[in-house]
Amino acid sequence: MNTQQQTGQEMVVGQVEMTLREKGRSRMAGNTIAFLRNHAPFNKMQPDALQRFAEKAQIAFYPAGSEIIGPDAGNVRYFYLIESGKVQARQAGEVTVTEYSILSLGAGEGFPIGAVTAGRPSTNVYLAVEDSFCYQLPAEDFLALVASSPEFNLFCTQYIASLLDQSRRQLQLQFAQRASEQQTLNSPLAGIGSRSPITVAPDTPLRAALETMSEAGVGSLVVAGEDRKAVGVFTRTDLLDRVVLAELPLSTPVGEAMTPSPFMLEEHATAYDAMFAMATHGIRHVLVTDAEGRLTGVVSERDLFSLQRVGLRQIRQAIDGAHNVEALQQAAADVRQLAFNMLAQGVGSEQLTQFISALNDALTRRVIQLNLEKHAFDGIDWAWLAFGSEGRDEQTFSTDQDNGIVFQPPEGASVDALKQRFLAYALDVNKDLDRCGFPLCKGNIMASNPQWCLTLDEWKEQFGSWIRQPHPDALLNATIFFDFRPLFGKAELAEAMRRHLLALTASNPMFLRAMAKNALDVEPPLGKIRDFLTDLEPDHPGKIDLKKYGSRIFVDVARIYAMASGVHNTNSIQRLRLAAQRLNIRADEINAVLEGLNFIQLLRLQHQYLEGEPGKQGDNLIDPETLNELDRRILKESFRQARKIQTRLKLDYQVN
Amino acid sequence: MLGLKKFLFRGGAPSGLSEDVKASLDAWRSSHAPALEELHFHTRYLVVDIVSSGLDPEKDQLLAIAASSVWQGAIQPDDTFYVDFSTLDGEGAAVDRQLMAFLLFAAKAPMVTYHVPYVGGFLQRAYKERLGLDFQPQWVDMAWLMPSMFEDKGHTVMPLDQWLEIFGMGGGEGRRDAMANTLLLGRLFQMLLVRAVGKQIDTAARLVDESRASSFLRRTH
Repeated sequence: MNTQQQTGQEMVVGQVEMTLREKGRSRMAGNTIAFLRNHAPFNKMQPDALQRFAEKAQIAFYPAGSEIIGPDAGNVRYFYLIESGKVQARQAGEVTVTEYSILSLGAGEGFPIGAVTAGRPSTNVYLAVEDSFCYQLPAEDFLALVASSPEFNLFCTQYIASLLDQSRRQLQLQFAQRASEQQTLNSPLAGIGSRSPITVAPDTPLRAALETMSEAGVGSLVVAGEDRKAVGVFTRTDLLDRVVLAELPLSTPVGEAMTPSPFMLEEHATAYDAMFAMATHGIRHVLVTDAEGRLTGVVSERDLFSLQRVGLRQIRQAIDGAHNVEALQQAAADVRQLAFNMLAQGVGSEQLTQFISALNDALTRRVIQLNLEKHAFDGIDWAWLAFGSEGRDEQTFSTDQDNGIVFQPPEGASVDALKQRFLAYALDVNKDLDRCGFPLCKGNIMASNPQWCLTLDEWKEQFGSWIRQPHPDALLNATIFFDFRPLFGKAELAEAMRRHLLALTASNPMFLRAMAKNALDVEPPLGKIRDFLTDLEPDHPGKIDLKKYGSRIFVDVARIYAMASGVHNTNSIQRLRLAAQRLNIRADEINAVLEGLNFIQLLRLQHQYLEGEPGKQGDNLIDPETLNELDRRILKESFRQARKIQTRLKLDYQVN
Repeated sequence: MLGLKKFLFRGGAPSGLSEDVKASLDAWRSSHAPALEELHFHTRYLVVDIVSSGLDPEKDQLLAIAASSVWQGAIQPDDTFYVDFSTLDGEGAAVDRQLMAFLLFAAKAPMVTYHVPYVGGFLQRAYKERLGLDFQPQWVDMAWLMPSMFEDKGHTVMPLDQWLEIFGMGGGEGRRDAMANTLLLGRLFQMLLVRAVGKQIDTAARLVDESRASSFLRRTH
C-alpha cells in the first residue's frame, strides 16, 4: 500500500488536490514574476527571492478615491506594490514632516516601507487616485524577504536612509530659522541691546544727571517722564555742544539741554530698521518702546555690530593669539556660536562634533601652552591625554573635562618629584579649562589627580591590571580611559600605550567578552507596545536619556569591535567603519548603523542648542512626544539599529 | 449496494470509479455549500477559466482548468488551482481523481467565469461522463454582468478582450494561458464587485441572482 502511494500512480484525491493547488500557485507566481521583472529593485533580485515574493503576493483592487491604508488602520499588515493605477501619499496631520506633503506613486512603486518594516501604523494616508491594482505582500513575508534578499534589503535600507536624510534637512531648516531669528538683522529689537536703560526726569538738574552717567559708566541718558515716555536723550555730544560750549549752569534742568524728540521704534521693529534709521538720521542710539510708547530699551550702534557672525578663521586666530584666559573665554563663547551657525547651515553631526572637538582641542592646547610659561618641562618626554568623549572626538557642549598626563622620566630622575611638578602644572591647566567652559570632572578624571598622571610604564601596568581582572570598576574605567588621544606633547607615548593595549586585549579574549557583557547591560528604550520606554529614569519620567540609552550603546559596541580588530582610532564612527571592513560586516549594514548613531547625536546637539538655556549645560533628556512624527520614526529606527548591533555583539561574544 | 446508489443518484457514479474517488465524492455530496448571505468581502468566490480543444462542449475536449479564489478583497495566491488533462492521454483513474480534486478545492463556492454556457458546459459534460455528477454550481457570469454593471463603458455582451482593452489590461501579445486569463478575470471581478455594492448588490446571493436576471433579460429581450 505504502509503495503504491509512493509511486504516485495511486495518489488519493486529497494528495492530488494539494499537487494541483501547488501547480496553480506556481502558475500565478509566474504571472506575477513577469510583472516584477520589469521593475526595480525586483529586476535585480535572485530568482528564488522573486519566487518567494510572487508566491505570497495577493492582488487587490482599490477604486479611485478609496483609502488603501492610513494612520487609523492599525499596524500595517502588507507591503503594497502598485501594479497599475496611481496612488497618492499624503501626510496625515497638520505638520509636514517630510519634504513632500503629497507624493504620487505609480506602477512598480511600493509603500509603506518604513511602517511595514517597523510593524507600526502608517503615518501617511495612501489614497488611490485612479482605479488601482496592488500586489500586497503580507508583512511577515516582506520581512522574511528583507532578511533573505540582499538586493531587496539594500533597496529598503536605502529608502529608510533617505528618510533619515530628509529628517536631517528638516532639522536644518529649523536651525536656520532659529539662527536667522537670533543672528540676522531680521531679529526684533525686543531682544537686542540694553533692556533697562538709565532714565532721568526732565527736571533733573544737569549736575545730578551727569553724576548718574558717571556712576553708571554710560555715555548717554534717556530723559523720560513718570509715564516712562521718552521726551529726549542726553549724550556726551550734548554735554559738549549745549552745556560746556553754551556755558549753561549745572543747575539747569536736563530737559533744556537734551536732544528732544528722540528717534523711537517699537519693539517688534527689526535690527535692520534700527540700522537704517541710524544711517539715515546720523544717530547712534534708537529708543525702543512698547505699543503704548513706553520706553523698554535702547539699541546702540555697537549692539548691532555684535550681531555680525563669528567666523571660523577669526576664532582660530583669537585662540592662537590669546595671551590670557580671559581672551580664551571669549573664544570659547564664539566656538559655541559658530557651532550653532554651522548646525543651522546643515553640517551633519559627525562633522560638527569633530569640528567642535577641533576648536576645543585648539583651545585646550592654548591653555596648556600658556601654563607652560610658568612650568617648564624641558628635556622630558610627556603628553597631555584626552579621554572619554573628548578622546573620541565626539564632544557636545555638555562635556566636562576628562584628561591625564603620560610622561617618561629621564634616566636617574626621581619619578616622584617629577610627578609633583606635573601635578602642580595640571592643576593650573584644569582650573583654566574650567574657566573656559570645560567644567571640572565630577569623577576627578583629570591630570591633576595623581591616579591619572602616570609614567608610560605605570599606564601600561594600569591597563594590564584592568584587562587581567575585569571587575566592574575596571570595565567602567576601560570605557573612559581606552578612548585616549594625545592632545599636546609627545604623541609617540600615546602610540606606545595604544600598541600595548591592543596587544593585551588580543591575548585576553575573556576581557572583551566581559566588556561585551557590560555593554549589553543597557538596552535601547524600545517598547513592546508603545514606541518608546520613557520611564527608565525615575527622576525624569516621560523622558529618554539619549546618551545613556542611545549614543553610548553604539560607542560601547564600537570600542569592543575596534579593540577586537586592532583598530587604532578612537572615534566611534571611524571605529565602526574600519572594524566592519576587517570583520566583514556588510557596508550597507554598517552604514545603516552609522546613520542611526548620527541621528541620535544630531538630536542631542539639537536638544542642547535649542533647548538649553544660554550659558547653561544642556542635558541629554528628550521627551519623544515633543518630536515631530518623522523624527520619532527615525529615532525608533535608530534605536532598532542600536538593538541590531547589540544583537550582533551578543552573538559574536556568546553573551546571554 | 452499487446498484442502489446508481438508482438514487440519477445514473450514479460509473462503476469504474476507484474507492478513494467514490469516498471523496460521497463526502463532497454530503458537505454543506457555504451560505451566500455573506458580504462579498467574506465570500470565497472561485474565478474559473478552462482550455478546450474547440468551442462545442458536446464534442470538443476539456484540456485544462485554471481557478483562483477572490476573497477578503484580494486574489489569493495560496488558494489557486491548475489542472492540465492533456498530458494524461485520457488515463481514466487519474482524470477522475483530478476532477474530484477540483470539486474538493472548489468546496461548493460560487463560481465566476466569462460565458457560463461555454465553461459550465465543458465542466458539466466532464463531470457527467467521468463521475456521473450533475455539476450545477452557483454561477456568476461576467459576460452578462459586465454590461449591466458598467453601462457607461459598454452596454452589450462583448468578447472579454474588449473589456480588457477598455480597462487598459489588454496589450498582451499572443495567446494568454488559462491562469493568466483567470487572473485577469479575477481583476475584472474585483472591479465589478465595487460597482455591484454601489447598486446594493452586496451579497453573493444577490450577485448570483443578478447574474441570472441579466442573462435572462438580455437573452430574451
